Amino acid sequence: MKVLSKNSDELVLLAMVSDIVRKGDYLLIEDEKLNRKMIVQIYDEDYLSSQTLIEDIVRDEVINASSAENLHDPLNIGKLSRMIRDARLFRTKIRGTIDTSGRMSSDFTWIPSRVQSKIRRLSIPELDDYVGRTGNFPIKIGKTRGDNEEFDIYADDLDGKLNIVTGKKECGKSHLAKILIKRLVEHGAFVVVFDLNDEYSGLAINHDGLPSSLADQIKVLQCGDGLTFSLKYCGKVAISNVLKNALDTPAASMREFFRIWDWLDNKDCLNIDAFGRAVNTWSVNELVRDALVSRFHIIQGSGLFLQNHGEGVRFENIFSKGTGAAIVVCMAKVTPIVRRMIVELILNKLVDLLENEIIPPIFLFAEEAHLYLRDTYWEDITSRMRHFGICPTFITNQPDAIGDVIYRQVDNIFLFNFTNDVDLDRISRVSLADNDTIRSIVKTLPHQHCLAIGKMVSDLPVVVEVAELETLALGETRKFFSRHVGHGF
Amino acid sequence: MCMLRNIHKHPYHTVNHYGPNLKMTELDFTDLDHSVDPSLSSNLSKDLSGKTIVFSRYDEKSHIPIGKYGSQTALINPEAITPIKCIQEPTLVAAVDSSSIRIAETESGCLYAIKCGVAFATNGQPLMHFKLGPILFYLSEETVKKSELDYRIANLVLFDVEYAKRLIRIQIERAIQTYLSNHLSNSIILVDGSLNASPFENRGRNIKKIAENCSIRRNVLFGISKSTSFRVLSKISAALIQSANAAYMNIQVIIQSLSRTTIGDNFLVKFGSRDSPILRVDIACCDDLISHSLGKLVANDSVAGGYPETLRLAHHVSTLTNMEVSCLKAYLLSNFDITQLESEDIRKTLLGSITR
Repeated sequence: MKVLSKNSDELVLLAMVSDIVRKGDYLLIEDEKLNRKMIVQIYDEDYLSSQTLIEDIVRDEVINASSAENLHDPLNIGKLSRMIRDARLFRTKIRGTIDTSGRMSSDFTWIPSRVQSKIRRLSIPELDDYVGRTGNFPIKIGKTRGDNEEFDIYADDLDGKLNIVTGKKECGKSHLAKILIKRLVEHGAFVVVFDLNDEYSGLAINHDGLPSSLADQIKVLQCGDGLTFSLKYCGKVAISNVLKNALDTPAASMREFFRIWDWLDNKDCLNIDAFGRAVNTWSVNELVRDALVSRFHIIQGSGLFLQNHGEGVRFENIFSKGTGAAIVVCMAKVTPIVRRMIVELILNKLVDLLENEIIPPIFLFAEEAHLYLRDTYWEDITSRMRHFGICPTFITNQPDAIGDVIYRQVDNIFLFNFTNDVDLDRISRVSLADNDTIRSIVKTLPHQHCLAIGKMVSDLPVVVEVAELETLALGETRKFFSRHVGHGF
Repeated sequence: MCMLRNIHKHPYHTVNHYGPNLKMTELDFTDLDHSVDPSLSSNLSKDLSGKTIVFSRYDEKSHIPIGKYGSQTALINPEAITPIKCIQEPTLVAAVDSSSIRIAETESGCLYAIKCGVAFATNGQPLMHFKLGPILFYLSEETVKKSELDYRIANLVLFDVEYAKRLIRIQIERAIQTYLSNHLSNSIILVDGSLNASPFENRGRNIKKIAENCSIRRNVLFGISKSTSFRVLSKISAALIQSANAAYMNIQVIIQSLSRTTIGDNFLVKFGSRDSPILRVDIACCDDLISHSLGKLVANDSVAGGYPETLRLAHHVSTLTNMEVSCLKAYLLSNFDITQLESEDIRKTLLGSITR
């Protein structure tokens, strides 16, 4: 490989077929004369093209199409010619230079010699050495493309950060999320998962059907099966936020709700039956009563609340154990309105518990976040989450469903394949890497490969082939015709 | 003009005389056109009036008028042309062409590259083609000493690149034509250009020898020229231009009077329909009627564009491309102990970049 040209923060390199490197790979350019090194990343590749070269290729093709060719090429010039036709141009971004102390810096005030420079592929461990990327809690998420070396990120870099896993459907987003959850729990972290497709419960089961190593640490909650709360445990703020944000209760009705709540609280009979009776008998304007009655019926019908003074779910009981744990909140079989209620309720309760330091900081995984992300409360919570101690990870295939406010807070992005330019535009506009890199690399990412961007990779984008999952993946697409394979349909 | 003559006759005196005090008005070139040979006419309005004209180009040699010159109408003799009829007799058609360029120069000689194309067709369909080369040849005083050629001719190629390229092309083409004429039988061999004996041919592999081989093995040898330096031929081609179909006319008398080195019979041929070009074709070793041989050629080679497809293919196959030239240079640098010197275009340096 040779340096061919430079434009702004880009270097164009000339490579032959024998130079086996790919998009996303890092290269080290060593200028022996200057005794300096530069790190660049390939973001695009192209043929070496010129008008005469194209004319030659076209002419040869036309000639060979019209008549069978026999060659007598004693000097084997044809081989050289074929090499030139297959020569490639690698467009690279300058990611940094190595200073005399061997550390990476952003001193781009020099350019490497075209003649003296030697170019070689840089392995990710070498890159890590240069940037000093290290941590205490490694998460093995897969292998680097090309050299097939194990690739770790560090839980330390996800902790207290806002993360996004995005890509088009069926490209491996949930798969990666499950790996992250598994490793976080193994490191003793507490995780809450909003599971929309009932797929994260598989974390408790191995491929062979036996309980996984995390079986005791995975708590699956779903409406009617464990996901129930007492009104008293939820508290006035959480319930009022459910009414306001999830059920769109008008302000006048909210005022009456507060009066009813305080009255029931003073009588120490905060339960769903008493709340129902109070709403129906409360002396209030008919319209307000109708509004409250209709909300009450939704709350009662959701099955989220205990009818009497039962215990229900208490997050502090699950998150106070010495080992890590994950609560998987299944929302596959609930209506969208109940889904919003669940998310609102749990988030409010978690914030309450975190603010009072009753539970330690938690990791929150929001699967298919675009289906319940609402500008009104998520953006507010997102911007303050790290102060509460919630480290959210949004998993979505609709990057435009996430608002700019959230994107601007993003620390890490796991970017899977996107072919749609609109989606890529959205991501590249707010992402932590340059537009060219995102557009070119992400468009050609194969299945289960992602581009890791952000603090977890010291702001040096890395293409990763996501590892296989040891536990059940679930969440696969149900297909009609797959039932008939082998049955002579 | 008189002034100019004086300057030439007495340069020292006049330079001193005009020297630094030269004034524009003291030099008069208005009589320049009267000071040259009377054949170089300058009465353009009289000489050009009423003429049809085709403008020449600097870079291309063979521009012919579409249609005909006005003066050609007077010479039309429809009886002189013979139509060509397709003779559906399976015959192998082989065509040879080559191209050569100068690749490099050393202190003692020049390095040339040549590439050849040999294309085959039968029943109107291309069969195959051979791409031979590129092959490198180095011509220097040392190598020329070994030549079988006349020493004056051999020395000429050391001083003139065009002669050197022609020498290499002739030598290689004759070698291939000799091979084909010895190995094919009852076939047609097409050669790019007229069937002229060349001073660059070797004794054993010259056009006459090739024609002899063709005669023995019942091959017909065609020399097809895309253009000719005999301007008279364009004047007598009017009848062919007007012919709606493939036809030919004999021009043996004209050619034999102009050139004594041509072999075979000489014709002007139109291979295609109305707009096809008129080509000079030399045919040697033709035992059959000429029309029969031309008919077999038309039937066995595609002449859709008015030119044999095998020759066209051979030409394209033999063309040295820029990429091949670059590869040859890379090959030389990496395989031989040579040092590349920086060079400059002396013409461009002296005349500036806007010069042609």
